[in-house]
Amino acid sequence: MYNLHLTPEQIEIRDTVRDFAMREVRPVVLKSDRLDLRDRTLPTQLLDEASQMGLRALALSDAAGGSGADHLTCCLVAEELAAADADFAAVLAETAWLAHLLFDQAMTDAQREKHLPKFLDDHRCHLAFAGYEASVDTHLGVNYHRPAQADAVPTTTAVKAAGGEWVINGTKDWVANAPIAGLFAVLVQMPGRHAPGVLLVPAGTAGLEVRAHDKPWRHGASGAVTFRDCKVPAESLLKDETTALLTGAAAAGRGIPLAQAINVGIARAAYEAALDYARLRVQGGRPIIEHQAIAAKLADVAIRLEVARVAVWSAAWASDHPEAFADRSLPDLPLQTVAQVFVSETVYHAVKDAAELFGAMGVMRDMPLQKYVHDALVCLHGAESNGDARLRIAEGLAGYRRTAAQATAAE
Amino acid sequence: MDFTLSNEQRSWQMTARKFAEGKVRPISLARDAIPTAAETWDWDIIRKGSQLGFRTLAVPKEWGGHGADFVSQALVMAEIARADSAISKAFSQNWKWSHLISASCTEEQKRRFLPDFIADDTFVLGKGITEPGAGSDNRLPPDDPKAGLKLKAERRGDEWILNGEKAFIANAPVGKLFFIDARTDSGVPLKQGTTMFLVPRDTPGFRIGKVFNKSGWRFYQNGEMIFENARVPHANVVGEVNGATRKSGGQGGDTTGGDLFGDLELAANALGICDDACESALRHARTATQGGQPLFAQQNVQLTINRMYMLTEALRAFVLRVAWEHDMKIHSPNAGLAMNFSSDAVQEVAELYMEVRGLDGAHMDPHADKLVRDSIIWTHLAADSVQRMKVARRIGR
Repeated sequence: MYNLHLTPEQIEIRDTVRDFAMREVRPVVLKSDRLDLRDRTLPTQLLDEASQMGLRALALSDAAGGSGADHLTCCLVAEELAAADADFAAVLAETAWLAHLLFDQAMTDAQREKHLPKFLDDHRCHLAFAGYEASVDTHLGVNYHRPAQADAVPTTTAVKAAGGEWVINGTKDWVANAPIAGLFAVLVQMPGRHAPGVLLVPAGTAGLEVRAHDKPWRHGASGAVTFRDCKVPAESLLKDETTALLTGAAAAGRGIPLAQAINVGIARAAYEAALDYARLRVQGGRPIIEHQAIAAKLADVAIRLEVARVAVWSAAWASDHPEAFADRSLPDLPLQTVAQVFVSETVYHAVKDAAELFGAMGVMRDMPLQKYVHDALVCLHGAESNGDARLRIAEGLAGYRRTAAQATAAE
Repeated sequence: MDFTLSNEQRSWQMTARKFAEGKVRPISLARDAIPTAAETWDWDIIRKGSQLGFRTLAVPKEWGGHGADFVSQALVMAEIARADSAISKAFSQNWKWSHLISASCTEEQKRRFLPDFIADDTFVLGKGITEPGAGSDNRLPPDDPKAGLKLKAERRGDEWILNGEKAFIANAPVGKLFFIDARTDSGVPLKQGTTMFLVPRDTPGFRIGKVFNKSGWRFYQNGEMIFENARVPHANVVGEVNGATRKSGGQGGDTTGGDLFGDLELAANALGICDDACESALRHARTATQGGQPLFAQQNVQLTINRMYMLTEALRAFVLRVAWEHDMKIHSPNAGLAMNFSSDAVQEVAELYMEVRGLDGAHMDPHADKLVRDSIIWTHLAADSVQRMKVARRIGR
């Protein structure tokens, strides 16, 4: 039953989002005065519009008021949005993923009653997961095929105060959506518990301080979050399995390839721009697409784009169908990590080729191609380098299994 | 075979290295970070470099220049580029056109222009070929008379009247004298209908438009040139009317000005970036730690450093060989091949340096970011399909 058909619903939502991205988002983000990386700001009004279309709650279940989209659909949408703007796509993808995970899976009924209405009512309520800590040194380059040397547990702690509430202290970095989040899920170490837990912290809570990163090498809006005696009610602790939900699949290399879908969207934007230009630009007496050298280069960009997309779809479908690993339909590989390495390298190559067609216009800050090259370069240098990602894959090949705690902290 | 540098070559190299480390590197990142394209240029560094001879390095000694050989020129370009690629290019751009003056200008023209160029530390040269609608068509001209540059020059008495515009012209915003290619016969293909003119900045009817906002080579200025009934004396025609491409190109005659020097120039400049990237990557790998060990302890990092040095040393060997061939007046397509290769090498080496650095918190190291942005400039100058085919046609000729 090998089947690459999209459902009618998937095709419909893809086309709707494509239309929105091309008609509404692209003209705004490609205005020449915002193409310079230094001038980039999130188009807030367009994010509102996207929310009204349901993209903020795309993966949230129907029952909870969302669209209940599966992982593959979320990736289709992420590519479409990223073909207009990677930052825009990253913000929505993060919130949509977390909305499903937190509201549908991690919360108790009481927690959902408390937090869901606010999320649904406020188009500007985005979600953030504060997990990563810069001080936890778990680079695989130093401990490939060996137990982590550093103590790989978060240093952000939460202790029970006399009144029953949790008191959080510590600093998280690389928090996607931090500057615009209405609600944070925070990974904390709790005394007396073996595994870290996850606490809900609404934005504006006393003791919570968000520092937005200035022009970070990450798509979307990111920042560092500091907790200083930050108090949240006792009932803010999410279900025990939340930690595994948030970090387990990604650590195993089988998470949702949203970042990779965004990466493909960047390549598509560059490819479409190059294709249009090659049809219009006349040199050597004919449109440059009619010259072999340009034609072969465009074909190469198209090949890279298509195969990168296949890697994303395959990882996305696999994360929707984990049973396909068990029945040996899928190879025993961390397909998201495979996609991360392949897509980031392939897309960077493709985007540079696309930029080449534009000559000097390909390096001008008031033209789109340099933005795509930069965006693709950002994807090449994530929190985990491709070098470390390769080692993560290799550990699997070598049959080396990390303990859950080690794998979690490595995320 | 003898790879030893002469005392004079060694001396130029050392002077350039001292200038690069002492004066250029300290301003490099700050200049790169200036957001407005028109404000990145720094006359102070140009004056200092000029006083050391780096502006007039290629002008023959009998005209008051330094008459440095090509090996010295390559060494100086690489040394300055090691500290800042764009600043190195700002100097060597003058050599390119002073080669042209030596090779193609009449004695009368030399007398009129060279003494001022030699005497004035802020006298910078440029050449205008590219136009908004004509890039590749100027580099690989088709036979169609309609293809290629459109800037029109019409003879009126002792003057030529120029109308049209140029785009992306290096040093346009800062230059005092330009070589301008214009169509003097629009009924024949570019190669037969183009004339080169010497156009001083204060020519009536000639002005500079916007400064292009590039992502790399920020210091080095590229601008628009606008000609509205610009009046250029007939005495400023370089070579013969309708003979521009015979003077600047590689067709027989001049093999060291224009194209061929430009090929060596890009390759030598790339070598400087590669050297900078290699040294910086190695320093980082030795000093930065992960898990209490230097990065260099990791096999991945060792392999990366190996590849960076391998490409860099291959480029160095190629650059010096081409410079030597120029000095020996050996004709070959090697300069073009070295230029093509330098683009591949400099981009990979800069990208690998970025990989070794990785992220510093939420940010990329600004030095690694700069080297990658600078290296990407090579694509359209040195190694797009047109530049590669152009070299192939030299081979196939």
